[in-house]
Amino acid sequence: MTRRTGAVLRAAARLGCAAAVLAVAIGLLPVALVAAIGVAVAWRQGWRPTRLYRAAAWCLPMVTVWLLATVLARHSLWPAADAARFAWLAIWRHGGYLAAAVQSGPAAIPLGLLVAGWAWSRRLASMAAGAGGRSPAAVVSFDARQWRHQVRAARARIAAPGAVPLLTARGDFVAGAVIRAVGHPQATLTRLPADRIRSHQIVIGGTGTGKSTLLLRLWAAFMAAGLARHAAGLAGPPLLVVLDCKGGADARRLADRTRRVLREAGARNVAVWPDAASLSLWDLPPGQLVSTLVDLVEHGTGGAAYYTDVMEAVVSLAVGAPAGPPASTANFLARLEPGWLETAYAGLPEQLLIVRSAARQLPDIALRYRAVFRRLGPGLDGPGDLDDADAWYCILEGTAEVAVAEAQARALVDLLASYVTAARRPTRQVLLAVDEFSAVARRLPIWQLFERARSLGLAVQISAQSWHGLAAREDDRYRLATTAEGGIWLLRTPYPEPVVALAGQHFAVDTTRQLTGWLRWARTGTSRLRQVPVADPELVRALDTGQAAYLYRGGVTFTQVKRLVAGPAALPAQTAARAEPVRVPTAAAAAAPAASPLPAVTAFLDEAFGSWP
Amino acid sequence: MIPAVPGPAALSDQDSTALPFLADMYGLQVDQLAALLGLTSRQSRALVARWVSQKLAESGTLSPGPAWVWLTRAGLRAVGARYQTAAPALPRLAHLRAVVAVRLALESVSTYQNAGAHWRSERHLRARSGGRVGGRDHLPDAEVHWPDAPSPGPAPSWAGECWAIEAELTPKTVARTAAIMREVLTRTGDYGCPAAQARVPGAPPRHARVVYLCSPAALGTVARARDVIGSLGARVEIRPLPAGAYLASAR
Repeated sequence: MTRRTGAVLRAAARLGCAAAVLAVAIGLLPVALVAAIGVAVAWRQGWRPTRLYRAAAWCLPMVTVWLLATVLARHSLWPAADAARFAWLAIWRHGGYLAAAVQSGPAAIPLGLLVAGWAWSRRLASMAAGAGGRSPAAVVSFDARQWRHQVRAARARIAAPGAVPLLTARGDFVAGAVIRAVGHPQATLTRLPADRIRSHQIVIGGTGTGKSTLLLRLWAAFMAAGLARHAAGLAGPPLLVVLDCKGGADARRLADRTRRVLREAGARNVAVWPDAASLSLWDLPPGQLVSTLVDLVEHGTGGAAYYTDVMEAVVSLAVGAPAGPPASTANFLARLEPGWLETAYAGLPEQLLIVRSAARQLPDIALRYRAVFRRLGPGLDGPGDLDDADAWYCILEGTAEVAVAEAQARALVDLLASYVTAARRPTRQVLLAVDEFSAVARRLPIWQLFERARSLGLAVQISAQSWHGLAAREDDRYRLATTAEGGIWLLRTPYPEPVVALAGQHFAVDTTRQLTGWLRWARTGTSRLRQVPVADPELVRALDTGQAAYLYRGGVTFTQVKRLVAGPAALPAQTAARAEPVRVPTAAAAAAPAASPLPAVTAFLDEAFGSWP
Repeated sequence: MIPAVPGPAALSDQDSTALPFLADMYGLQVDQLAALLGLTSRQSRALVARWVSQKLAESGTLSPGPAWVWLTRAGLRAVGARYQTAAPALPRLAHLRAVVAVRLALESVSTYQNAGAHWRSERHLRARSGGRVGGRDHLPDAEVHWPDAPSPGPAPSWAGECWAIEAELTPKTVARTAAIMREVLTRTGDYGCPAAQARVPGAPPRHARVVYLCSPAALGTVARARDVIGSLGARVEIRPLPAGAYLASAR
């Protein structure tokens, strides 16, 4: 057989095959039509074949009813099997298209959907293996087109009112609509069990990528789920502490939005620190207070270590004085004088010796603390307690005053750690969210808290603009990322590789083809298995605003995040200015104003209006 | 036909007490009218019916609970008030009821009566401003003036003071509430005075203190706002709204 004869025979075989398929398609025209429509819809919506199979399964009740009706009417199942022939006869003899559709529909629709699912899975598999399409490059354009279709479908889903609740009836958190999932279940909504948002999480995304929208949704879900658990008697009330380390007017706007969103999620009061509420550093246990106070002052190593030791000794004496720990900044500063310390420790020769040894450094130490507390402002001088509110939004001026923000972050985290470790019943569900962590990362070893927080019932959520913003050292970054058992949210970022590598790899078929002429590719080639990242770094780099990749247990779900809309109650711009810190008031405290030089009217007003219970 | 305008001679003692009150407060509900005059519900309804028949007032069920009554143009003219005629605005009904309740509670105390204190309503202040109150100005719900030398009894220790009264049913933002407090407490001129006299540095403040009557929902915001304004907060008094200050089913 010559080469030419062989080619002719192959062409004839292909033609015969095509003719046979066409004949079957015409013979089973309703099934072919449904299958064609199914494949077209799946292509257009970016569906997975599973969805077509599921649709076919949903047709089973219809098929059952149809078969039962046929048996009852004709006392046989044969008419059902002969439905296609009857349909053709109806069209041929009477032109009855409607009758044909009704007769063949119950069988043709599920069969057509099954065929569509099979055909679509074959198409996807061949394109994933690089064997489909007219040229090898077709694989790339097919995937890009499918991504666009999937994004469009996800956007349509989140735009539908009520389609994406914050929590499901089971209490699962819903982040938004699934665009694409690899290694995770193929679902329409990105659902996370509620305990996932009470675990450590990391959020990485640059400015303008929708990070705040995602964070707000996570915080609101934590609050709503926590309140539901509390109402069910399963846990104590939730406490959300947000450290916004960026500061500035943007932080105030986000604080306002957070407050409104959290109120809609059920939070009764949201305190904004230090603009509208304060906390007291002096509530810390004396031992913790000493280390926090020492850490507030930046100190070096080497020769400076001597000075640090002296300072620690002096602070220990000031805090641990027999009269009790200091109650305010002024009280603490007043103790940093030789005279006060000598009086306080009169009769205690060991402590007096330390006081006299450190007498030369005392003025310097007092000076440094005066400067530190002046820069820190009154926000940590009380009154106030974390119990005063369901959520605390703490604004740290990390952009304008890095050193101050670092010290504030350190103090606030110490306060929270002390609050969590204190014996308290019922134990509150606590989430510490640190936004723009890089601003305070230098002096806030959050990974230590990250590693021991779970045992304390404290979840930590870190968000940063990039991988490098997570921590100063690579080791610390990996330590944080590998202990984020609640998953990692990755928004658009130019360097996703380290995080993507943590999500792992999966096997994919790689097919080669042979170029046989100008833009002609042979149908023969070789295939091999290779490992590719579960989360495509190129997709992460190209994510649009509001899209996020959720990495968890070797899988990734690309999500179109649903934005939470809060009720209108915007703070006017003037709240951005620093106001004197206040404590979230109680009813009893509200009725007692500060000392006034005006004549007392309390009795008169009490007679007219009564007083608060 | 031109309606007959009732003259002063047609008004009884009850009318001379209730109609100016009604004119100042925009309108009130019949149960509050009964409390004002010490009447039974039936008597107060009969009184309202008479005013309506004399075209001094109109009445209607504007909200759940008892009917509302407000003065017509003829009624306003009869008491010498130069206010614009209007039925109480539906969105403000809850607030109007709360302010009336505050006034009734204040006026029921003997110290208030003996001191000869005088209630100056928001409607009065607005009329004095001649409609020039813009979006940036804030009018208190009322002023209470305590005369220096009251005639009936001994002067209270705060005689000579002018208080601003604020009834807060629903919470505003802390910042807005604090801004209102600052504005009220730093004002030096009367309402309707030239703008240059409204806040004169060094001049004594017009309001010695501001009394906030709050619902439980608004208490937190008002208290926080008082703390925010610093030393001015010493001149802010916070008390609960009287029990009858809430609209039926609005609490």
